[in-house]
Amino acid sequence: MQVKTKWFGTLEIGEDKIITFEKGLIGLGEFKKYTIVFNTEKSDTETIMWLQSLEDENIAIPVINPDIFLTGYDPIVEDELLESVGNVKTAELLVLVTLTVPSDITKMTSNLKAPIIINTDNLKACQVIANNQEYIVKYPIYDIIKQNSKKGGE
Amino acid sequence: MLALSRKKDESIIINDDIEITIIEVKGDQVKLGITAPKSIPIYRKEVYIQIQEANKEAAKSIDVKGLDNLFK
Repeated sequence: MQVKTKWFGTLEIGEDKIITFEKGLIGLGEFKKYTIVFNTEKSDTETIMWLQSLEDENIAIPVINPDIFLTGYDPIVEDELLESVGNVKTAELLVLVTLTVPSDITKMTSNLKAPIIINTDNLKACQVIANNQEYIVKYPIYDIIKQNSKKGGE
Repeated sequence: MLALSRKKDESIIINDDIEITIIEVKGDQVKLGITAPKSIPIYRKEVYIQIQEANKEAAKSIDVKGLDNLFK
């Protein structure tokens, strides 16, 4: 299907790339269907990806694998809250966190409190709120990513 | 909004499977006990609103090029 994206024009998306959030994202409950668009041309999961709404082209949320900037990210949630994505004990789960990128990019933050869980077997997904007290909604990550990419370049 | 008066150790039942009990009343603070199926998400409202706002802000994120450069 043809999908209008916020940043990358119109893209052709296979049906097998459609991610369904039965309950939507928190505060954006009316939008259920998304796809992942890569920020770079080489579908690189090691950088930022965009969770692009298929229902409203203006909804595009940058997401990232938290392992890139944080070792041992381990959100605690009740298994029952993940029921809508399928059997989490057997499924292959992809955990992503959202990013907020203001006009001053150095102020970018990641929401560790509310990860996005995607069952990669059936592409059902949900956003949950982690019980972990230490995970905050606006975790500054610019400096961490900057430092990491320096290290990688050396 | 429905308003019900309850005393300490009294409860209300919502939808057969959710029970909210007044555990303690101390000044302007009330401690509630909530028994509900684990599949029901229960959050402090401030936290929930924070996440709502964060999602809306995240959806306004810009600077695609800047993000790209960050990983180079």
